[in-house]
Amino acid sequence: MAAADSTSTTLQRRDLCSRGIRLAGKMRSDVVDLLDTYVEQQGLDASASVAAVEGVPVAAVERWDEQTGTQRLLENLAAYRAFRALLAQMLEEQQEQLGEADATLGQALAAVLLQVSAFTYHLEELLRLENRGPPSEEAAVLPVLPPLSLFERKLRGLGVLRELAQWAVRSVRDLRQLAKPGPGSSAAPSPAESP
Amino acid sequence: SQSHSPTPGAPTWPRPPQPPLHCGYNLPSMQCLLPPSLCVSIADPAVISPQDPTLLIGSSLVATCTVSPDFHLGAEDLYWTLNGRRLPAASYATLGPTTLSVALAHLNGSKQQSGDNLVCHSRDGGILAGSCLYVGLPPEKPVNISCWSKNMKDLTCKWAPGTEGETFLHTNYTLKYKLRWYGRDNTCQEYHTAGPYSCHIPKDLALFTPYEIWVEASNRLGVAVSDVVMLDILDVVTTDPPPDVHVSRVGDLEDQLSVRWSSPPALKDFLFQAKYQIQYRVEDSSEWKVVDDVGNQTSCRLAGLRPGTVYFVQVRCNPFGIYGSKKAGIWSDWSIPTAASTPRSERAAGGCDPKGGEQNTTLRRELKQFFGWVKKHAYGCSNLGIKLYDQWRVWLQKSHKARNQVGKEPFTLLSLPWGGQWGAGGGLCGARTRWLRGAPFISAGASRR
Repeated sequence: MAAADSTSTTLQRRDLCSRGIRLAGKMRSDVVDLLDTYVEQQGLDASASVAAVEGVPVAAVERWDEQTGTQRLLENLAAYRAFRALLAQMLEEQQEQLGEADATLGQALAAVLLQVSAFTYHLEELLRLENRGPPSEEAAVLPVLPPLSLFERKLRGLGVLRELAQWAVRSVRDLRQLAKPGPGSSAAPSPAESP
Repeated sequence: SQSHSPTPGAPTWPRPPQPPLHCGYNLPSMQCLLPPSLCVSIADPAVISPQDPTLLIGSSLVATCTVSPDFHLGAEDLYWTLNGRRLPAASYATLGPTTLSVALAHLNGSKQQSGDNLVCHSRDGGILAGSCLYVGLPPEKPVNISCWSKNMKDLTCKWAPGTEGETFLHTNYTLKYKLRWYGRDNTCQEYHTAGPYSCHIPKDLALFTPYEIWVEASNRLGVAVSDVVMLDILDVVTTDPPPDVHVSRVGDLEDQLSVRWSSPPALKDFLFQAKYQIQYRVEDSSEWKVVDDVGNQTSCRLAGLRPGTVYFVQVRCNPFGIYGSKKAGIWSDWSIPTAASTPRSERAAGGCDPKGGEQNTTLRRELKQFFGWVKKHAYGCSNLGIKLYDQWRVWLQKSHKARNQVGKEPFTLLSLPWGGQWGAGGGLCGARTRWLRGAPFISAGASRR
């Protein structure tokens, strides 16, 4: 009986992971397109480098291959919750400044925001499957930032989208690790499994 | 032991572990993960003045960049770019040990509506501060306001922006309205419902009192107000497209189709003077033929059609004179196309004609009638020709018509070879049909009255 439950959970996890991988892949592709539109509409240099901004989750991670499955899911969830808030703020600012007339950028931003929300939900489902409910959202509330000039907002938007694109790549890798059969996804992968 | 390095040849993720790098700037809220030469900060290593100014096209600007003393940079270490292009050193002036200015003359309109990017850089290319310049013109007053009310329940208005109004700066449009004599200003809330310059007022509209309607255009350089349009909702009513459009064959008549529809239900009680139009086309053509004046009938026969052909038919409604309004109504959208085919022409098909004998009998009977008529009305007339035949046809049709008025079937005779009219009494539709070729005709069905 217990074995049957375990098999069912494994299959469910694999299914959720494979759908999550597809979702993250599509999100990555859409974010890259959005970045092109954003850079063009804001008149920015596509190659400009932007510093990490407070509130924007950094995709760079040390000892990635030592992480447990639960750790991966929790870090992903925290990141996408933050992106959801950041993108909503960007969308609001964009509409405030350029109205609904600038439909291309607004629609693309809204579409990516929707994907991020869907992916967040997906991660919560995976965490439930790990017998660990998703943590409360309070932790994901954006820090209160000092008011930014319009130019600073432009750069922050660039930073948010770039980091989100990086996160989408990391999430695909994380979910691939989770989907791998093995003695419990929560365990750290062996060195051979590291990307 | 576990390796912390990515697999050789693996894509960019995860990045190899590395100690976080800092820009060298004292940024409490930021942490740069890139080498200092590439680093862009969005905190305050420097300050540009003026920050995010709005300017008229052709004006000039002197901007200054002052670096924070903590960064140990001098004015000589700075340079400027505008939209990514380095500005010439000749336009710079050193105003202090850490302050560099740039003079921009005769500014053109902003390259993007989000503002031109005037950026102060350190010698290594890093961005120290930026300012968005909004250069443009004040808005011009919006023009061509037109409004319509669907079923007297709402109001939608469209307008056109003033020329060049939006070329460089984003312009906001606000549609306002009030009852003419005693209302207070209201602001429309639902924009872009019927295109980019439109707004929809869904409810709380009064009838029998004119409204004043106007549009305010505003951008960073000012506000422009359109002329005020005055209208009564009753004068701008339009309806839903007529529902229940049915197209069917007229017996075996191979050149005709019958069209029937219902009045738009929302306005059924007010449509005493509604007009309808029909348009139809053959399946393989995009060219519609319009039947202009169907009047307020809710059925109509299309004739002169090609045998064995699929036709698409649409109907629309124009409700005019509602509650005594003197204004011409506004046409509804066309109904969804309804398709039907005319019967195949058996003669054209060249096959067996099972009704041949029947037709011969009819022809013989008709000829017999004709000669009888000639004997009675044109005896001795040497000018026997097609005109005489035409006259006989008119006589024949009149006698049929008289017979039909007595009976129940309103229109049985459909053929008027010379394209003449019967007179309006019988509810003929299509007297003003716009035909493209040939000489087809329309015959009316039952009037809704």
